[in-house]
Formats: sequence, C-alpha cells, structure tokens
Amino acid sequence: MKFSVREQDGVTILAPKGKIMGGPDSTELQEKLRDLIKGNTKRVIIDLAEVDWMNSTGLGIMIAGLTTMRTAAGELKLSRVTDKIQSLLVITKLVTVFESYDSVDEAIKSFTK
Amino acid sequence: MARRLSKIPHGVAFPSDQKFLAAVDRYVEQELKKAGFGKDVIADVAISVSEFVNNAILHGNRQDESKLVRLELYHAPGQVTICVEDEGEGFEPDKVASPLEGENLLKEVGRGIFIAKMLVDSVEFSRGEKGGTRVKLFKKLPV
Repeated sequence: MKFSVREQDGVTILAPKGKIMGGPDSTELQEKLRDLIKGNTKRVIIDLAEVDWMNSTGLGIMIAGLTTMRTAAGELKLSRVTDKIQSLLVITKLVTVFESYDSVDEAIKSFTK
Repeated sequence: MARRLSKIPHGVAFPSDQKFLAAVDRYVEQELKKAGFGKDVIADVAISVSEFVNNAILHGNRQDESKLVRLELYHAPGQVTICVEDEGEGFEPDKVASPLEGENLLKEVGRGIFIAKMLVDSVEFSRGEKGGTRVKLFKKLPV
C-alpha cells in the first residue's frame, strides 16, 4: 500500500492505494494522519477510490484519525468508498460514524456548508 | 530459525513479524486466483485470513519471532478452507466483546474476529499441536 497527499481548497486529501491490512505500510499511513493532526490540519479527506480492500487495521486507522481529528475540532471524511469497504463499514456499523461522499469535490464542498 | 516465509505442506510458515503480512496476503491471493476464485471471494477470504494472521502474530505469539505462524490452504471446487495456527497459549474467543456495542464502536481495535466471521461461512477455533490457537476458516463460492 502506498499513499499520496495533496491539498485542495484548504482540505488535505490523503489517497491510499492498494490494500490496508496492517504491517509497516499501515503504520506509515497512521503516522501520516497523526502528523497532519499535529500540524494543525483540521480538514482531511481519505479518498478510498484506489484501495482494493482493507481489514480491521485499516478501519482502526480511520477511526483513530476521525476521533483524534474531532477532539482537535477538526473533521475527517471519506470519499469514493469502494463497494468492498462500504460493506465493511455497514457490517461494523461504522457507516453511522463516517461522513462519506461519492466524489472528492463533493467531500471538499461539504466542509464549507 | 528461518527469517522468511517458508513453504510447508499445503501452505506457508513465517516468524511472528507483521512485515510478513503483505507476503502472506499475496500468497493467499495467488493461490485463490489459481484455483479460479473471483475477486469478491478472494477479498473476503484475504481479509478474514489477515485478521487471524494479525491476531496470531500480535496476540498468539506476542511478536516473538522465534515462534512461527502456520497457514494451510485447501481448496476444492467451489470451496476453500484455510487454517491459521500460532504457538501461543490459546485464547477464549467467546470472551471477545462485541465491537458494535456502546463505546466499542469507536475503538481502534477489537473488530477483527467479528469482521472475519462475517465474511466467511464458518470459523472454528481449536488448540494447535503446540498448544496455541488454530483457526479454521471455510468459504463456499456463492451459488
């Protein structure tokens, strides 16, 4: 798993690619999220379009990002959630916790509403 | 002690280090592809296996690299069985809290076994030859 980071309209977009299944790659992603929060980033989107699938480690990283971000008065949202990950969010009820959008642009716009 | 992924009959064995997770995942995916399983079934099985391999490394063998995790994979037309075994002290799966209830919903950890059970047709726990946990996953192809 690799990931890219970019900024658009004041929102940081973190885009992992591949699978988030634990191990060193996942730790890097988690550390990147922590760095963003420490750097006072308040608006983050995790764009999941190119994530084939993830396990509970991946969900845990997203949950940690969300809760830490909210504690710091920020927000973490999801975009382009793939079917497999959406099914994981549904069975774990995390679909009730995360805001998710069909496109990155929609997710960005949601921060200004 | 081999510091790598080693072939064993019907599977692989590897030291208890999370750096082997990606190689194990590739092994499972390749074997299921060769057996003709579709992407959706492969994803379900790979996710479930990864949960138990992670548990075997972290909780079973407590990342003691002198202890091995063994994974065996058996497939027949329309079905696959995978066994993951550690060399730990065993655990009681019934004592795992539901990740859906109350404050557990927002916990970073604790939903792996739940997810794994939801994605395959059956999960059985037993004691392995060395006293650790042996998990047997079974998945049928959708009709």
